[in-house]
Amino acid sequence: MAKEIGADRLGDFYKEGSLVRKRREWRGLADTMYDYSRWLKIMMTLGKFVMKPRNVKAMFRYRWMANYLAVPMMVDRHTQGLRGEYLRICHEEQDLVIDDVAKLLDSLFRGDRRIGNDKKFSDKVVLVDENEMTAVMMGFPTLKCLSRETPSTYVSVLLNQYAACHYIDVAQEFGLAGDVCPMPEAEAGVSIDDDAPILGACAIQCNTTCDGSLLGNGVISQRLEKEDGIPVFQLAAPLRHREDDVQEYAAQEIRNAIAFIEKHTGVKWDWKAYFECAKRVNYATECRQEWLEMNRTPYPQVFGSNLALYTETNYMAICGRVASFEKADKKITKLARQAYAKKKMAAKEYRHRAIVWGVQSHYYMDFLVWLLNCWGIVPLTDMLSMVSTKKLVTEDTPENREQAIYDMAWLTENMIMRNRTHGGYKVLLDELWEFVEMFNADIVILWEHMSCKALDGMHGLFEEKAREKGIPLVWVSHDLFDPRIISRQGVRDQINSFMRTVFNEEPIDPSLEVLPDEKSW
Amino acid sequence: MKDLKHLIFFENLLLEANNELVQKAQADGCICVAYACENTPEPLLNLPGCFSARLRAPRTGSLDISTYYMTSFLCEYSRALLERAIEGGYNFADAVITPDGCSMMNRCIENMELLKTLGKGKDKFFFEYMEIPMKADDNGLNLYVVQCRNHILKPLSEKYGIDVSDEAIRKAVADHNRVCELIRAIGDFRKEENPRITGYEFNVITLATYVAPKYLLLDKLEETLEELKTREPDEKNGFRARVLVVGSEVDDTDFVKLIEDAGAYVCADRFCYGSLPGRNPIVLNDEEDPLTQICRAYMNRGECPRYMNTDKMDHRRIYVDELAKEYKADGIIYQQMKFCDPWAYEKMMGSNILREKYGYPVLAVDRPYSIGVSGQMTTRVQAFVESIEIKKIQRGDANG
Repeated sequence: MAKEIGADRLGDFYKEGSLVRKRREWRGLADTMYDYSRWLKIMMTLGKFVMKPRNVKAMFRYRWMANYLAVPMMVDRHTQGLRGEYLRICHEEQDLVIDDVAKLLDSLFRGDRRIGNDKKFSDKVVLVDENEMTAVMMGFPTLKCLSRETPSTYVSVLLNQYAACHYIDVAQEFGLAGDVCPMPEAEAGVSIDDDAPILGACAIQCNTTCDGSLLGNGVISQRLEKEDGIPVFQLAAPLRHREDDVQEYAAQEIRNAIAFIEKHTGVKWDWKAYFECAKRVNYATECRQEWLEMNRTPYPQVFGSNLALYTETNYMAICGRVASFEKADKKITKLARQAYAKKKMAAKEYRHRAIVWGVQSHYYMDFLVWLLNCWGIVPLTDMLSMVSTKKLVTEDTPENREQAIYDMAWLTENMIMRNRTHGGYKVLLDELWEFVEMFNADIVILWEHMSCKALDGMHGLFEEKAREKGIPLVWVSHDLFDPRIISRQGVRDQINSFMRTVFNEEPIDPSLEVLPDEKSW
Repeated sequence: MKDLKHLIFFENLLLEANNELVQKAQADGCICVAYACENTPEPLLNLPGCFSARLRAPRTGSLDISTYYMTSFLCEYSRALLERAIEGGYNFADAVITPDGCSMMNRCIENMELLKTLGKGKDKFFFEYMEIPMKADDNGLNLYVVQCRNHILKPLSEKYGIDVSDEAIRKAVADHNRVCELIRAIGDFRKEENPRITGYEFNVITLATYVAPKYLLLDKLEETLEELKTREPDEKNGFRARVLVVGSEVDDTDFVKLIEDAGAYVCADRFCYGSLPGRNPIVLNDEEDPLTQICRAYMNRGECPRYMNTDKMDHRRIYVDELAKEYKADGIIYQQMKFCDPWAYEKMMGSNILREKYGYPVLAVDRPYSIGVSGQMTTRVQAFVESIEIKKIQRGDANG
């Protein structure tokens, strides 16, 4: 038990066959009290949630709701070994995301025809995809933009590594090939299993990250439109998003989507609200850029899963629509500046500076924390965090209203993951090496999400470029939502062997090399 | 039945991507525009002075090198094309134009470009990538037109001096339509109760029209049509069931042959590289510019699962039902090339809907790019044929 960073053997906290770790970490009095108070806060959020009878009813109706018992454990996984500002940054982000997801669940069940059945509320709901940029909702402050896939599959797998397995099996039993990406596969499985809340005035689907995602939406819309009577608009964002000659098309799709929402909800687009959101998007961009600037120095502050998970939520799902995220941005930046000024480090030793590229393993989101604690590899940034830094127009003028349509189109085209998986090899292959140079990285951790065809299709060229540049590149294979294909230990083993054989190194914390977490949440 | 006079000629065209007619057309001074996706408007690649060749990799063997570049998770079609390109098999092409039809196709062509597999010694050679709509609507049409103009017509005109005027486009459509009409007329014989053309023969002829310059095929197609008019089918039809084949890319004639050898007559071909709707003529009016009309025709008829709007999704299944009725299919085979994401989903949805809502017997299979003689596939088709027969007996259709 130690106050100092890196003094504990973090692997010793794991227990064979257990869902949770043996005990909480001692981080010194101040940090332990802080951590414990935030744990209590999470428990209060959960407590408030289950106090509503409709939410309890939902626990019994929806299979995936059982995963939410693991919320505190998820946060604990991400705070392993953290102290001081890093611990506070992590909690600031994670607790806010938890609060946001709790509100999302509460809203879903309030409008759900099977649970709360609040029709008036449901009529103000616009359903969106899990992996969808919500820019098109920035001018509808009185409408609720809700994603059913976020809690049923996306967050569930963060909480419990096996959460999606049932739905993957359902989809395959229905006839889907087993080689497609398990994320849209699981989302389709939820729909086939009829295990999603039914609500909403309409839905906006989008061709998000890949062919699988696009086609998975077809399964969901089949139920939404044909059985639930919820009209669906398919927003087609261009794939070659860096090309000038697709932008008018993209803009028109945004106009059409707005018109569709107006038609089905009876609510008019509000430019004032839009520009307020645009300001917040710009502020979030400024903060993210500042964090990334720090990460280019020897003293990175907001990195790893602190950067990845938060960016994913704030950039795409929030997109300036929730004021509390602006406050969090401010707090995180303040903490980061504070730590940077003191040249603080998140682990006792930084051995390697890594760019993490590709699509991360969802069932092992805390892998980035493990990289740092076990091998001293600092994940400076990751592919999903390298999103648009374009400034949106914020002043309400007739010209800017037109430009704003293009801004929303740009954001939609550049939603997380798709801004790299689509758009040609330059954004995926060439820009990686630009970032390696920019961040002064000495290693590339390349996730090989085995059923991500867009990434797999560049496999050989990634290797050739790495050899050409003389940068060590390690492949880390996984199957995104399905730990039955490659387990968490299977993921770790790929790094372990690489570090031992290529770098001839020993781990900083050997207790983390092999962990008995096969059965854990 | 007596063998078709030109069948061997058509079959020979399928043995190499750089076939006899491609070489002849290039010797005539035409430039060869290679493409891979059905969403590339073919008439625009067949303007006076150029001709299209849709990429295939006949007699594919090892995929080792392309598997290194793209892993074993990408569909074998995209890997086979890359392998062939690395082997130098497409050096005859003067340009490659491809839409981002699917991720795998896009990556395949990008690998070809980055590995500099094509264009050796051809200083005007170019790769062009284009965006194509995912929905059939006015916005999609505008995009299609802009993209065809910027990524097909402009480079062809600027690099090779091809005439891209409306007149030239109209002529290309007329030539295209002539081939389509011939294929349609030949294909109509498949509707007969005792058909005078096998699904395999038709598949070979149709495929040839994708991979060889059309103007050099016309005489053989016309002769074949004439020959079919008087061709006597065998007295006893050896097939036990009629099936409609639906699904992803099939440029392997062995697949249709395997189905027919297992006792099912392939009466209609609703797959990528098939004739339905790939060989529907494009009807032009005189009022609107031909480019817009071509794009509209491609967009409206497109049955590719990448089209994501509900009307299009529904139409994919309605169209299969219409074809099954028109061609009197007893059952439907939904096939999907292994690792093809779009068709993995469409096969699942289509096969369930056609079975549950429309009441057809449906076989859903995935298959490799080159099927050769697959015992497993033969067994599945045979079992499907038997199940159709049993259903017929149960309905009292058989034996009066």
